[in-house]
Amino acid sequence: MIAFVIVWYFYTFGDKQRQFIFSSPDKVLEALERTIKSGELLLNCQVTITEAVAGFLLGTTIGAIVGLSLWYSRLIAQLSKPYITALATVPIFALAPVIISWFGIDIYSKIALAFLSTVSVAIVQSYQGAMSVEKRFLRLMQVAGATRWQTFKLVVVPSSIIWVLNAMKLNIGLALMGAFIGEFISSEHGLGNMIVKASGLYDQATVFAGVIALIVIALLLTFVIEQIETRLMRWKTS
Amino acid sequence: MNASTPLLTIDSLCFDFGQTEKTVDSLELSVKKGEIVCILGASGCGKTTVLNLIAGLLKPKSGTINLQSESGKKNSIGYIFQSDPLFPWRTVEGNLMLAFDLNKSLDRNKAKEMMQQYLSAFHLNQQVLSKYPAQLSGGMRQRVSIIQSLMFDPDLLLLDEPFSALDYYTKLSLEEEFCQLVRAKNKSAILVTHDIEEAVAMGTRAFIMSGGKLAKEFLIRLESSTTQTSSNANVSVARGSEEFAKHYREIWSELKSIISG
Repeated sequence: MIAFVIVWYFYTFGDKQRQFIFSSPDKVLEALERTIKSGELLLNCQVTITEAVAGFLLGTTIGAIVGLSLWYSRLIAQLSKPYITALATVPIFALAPVIISWFGIDIYSKIALAFLSTVSVAIVQSYQGAMSVEKRFLRLMQVAGATRWQTFKLVVVPSSIIWVLNAMKLNIGLALMGAFIGEFISSEHGLGNMIVKASGLYDQATVFAGVIALIVIALLLTFVIEQIETRLMRWKTS
Repeated sequence: MNASTPLLTIDSLCFDFGQTEKTVDSLELSVKKGEIVCILGASGCGKTTVLNLIAGLLKPKSGTINLQSESGKKNSIGYIFQSDPLFPWRTVEGNLMLAFDLNKSLDRNKAKEMMQQYLSAFHLNQQVLSKYPAQLSGGMRQRVSIIQSLMFDPDLLLLDEPFSALDYYTKLSLEEEFCQLVRAKNKSAILVTHDIEEAVAMGTRAFIMSGGKLAKEFLIRLESSTTQTSSNANVSVARGSEEFAKHYREIWSELKSIISG
């Protein structure tokens, strides 16, 4: 990373044409400083984080509930499989214009796109987790005369947590992408909006500043998920 | 229930996994209160299938399994598997209180009291309660697994080679602790094992399973036994006796002739 920045710096140093095409590390720093001071970057970050986190929470929660509940019925799981696969394979870019026309250009359409980007991953991961419960645990519950609800609550959910956490880690990036695509297509605020406006003006430095902000947000959110994982999976690290 | 009434009666039990040859073929067995019945046999002869049928994990093709539970409670069977079913996300205490979690009508304090009694019977200290299964040794995990089954207060315990993965000394002490507890609580048990020594030391009766049936029965009487139906509580003493060697030779000679066909 440091090597890349050094090479980038010397490659563009003193050359206006190269700086126009590739920007340069010092210009990106200047853009970061300018957008932070003006409050533009923080406002856009706030909007993107709100959209992505709301979509992420909705998508992951609903997806996890649906995926885990499919453990109850193999028939429903088989019947819903093609729909889940379809949802997972449809490119979010293709749906974005429709979603924006349904929900408008404000925050709700971006939340919907972040939700659609994350829900299928959460369903698939949670269902996999529920179906991968070790047989010895299920045999114990059966011999103990546990009801199906007790088995679900005491065995299926806790043993699938690791799968749900994996879905959460994958979904952080996907939720940001969903929100970003929505902002990119039509929006008034957000990092996607900032980047699309800057690239329209050939302001590569501001584009890079927006990309860096997106990376920082993704890292911060992943850190939060990892903290939750450490708490929930204490038994694994003990 | 009087002492001579069988706790478990199995009549003409048949089961197969879809092949023409039956895994369990017209099997007959009765187990009285306080007995430890051992089933020996070659690998794949259907020993574990019999336990799974008794536990209700498999449905018989024909025949009956009748368990006369003294208390009439729902879960009067405890199953101790070769690989313990301890939940890795729960502490030892959480695992042991599973019986309470499944049946909230149980008194929590009584359940805790019972847990303390079993912990001391199996020589486990208080510190173990806050540990996770991954932090325990193989012997400790198997002890916790046995206590977990006992917490349901079952009348009949099914044991599927529970000590086979343990080192020799842990195995000996666990066998002894288990026999003492079964005698003290007047429980019954069916132990499936490959180990003739284990069967002779722990059992009051031993069977050799072959062709889906309990082909041969051995009544085990060792000097250290206190009554005819109780298990040999002092397993290590029993192992040194002349009768022990005699029973061992009898079972081995029969098993050898069955295996060699």
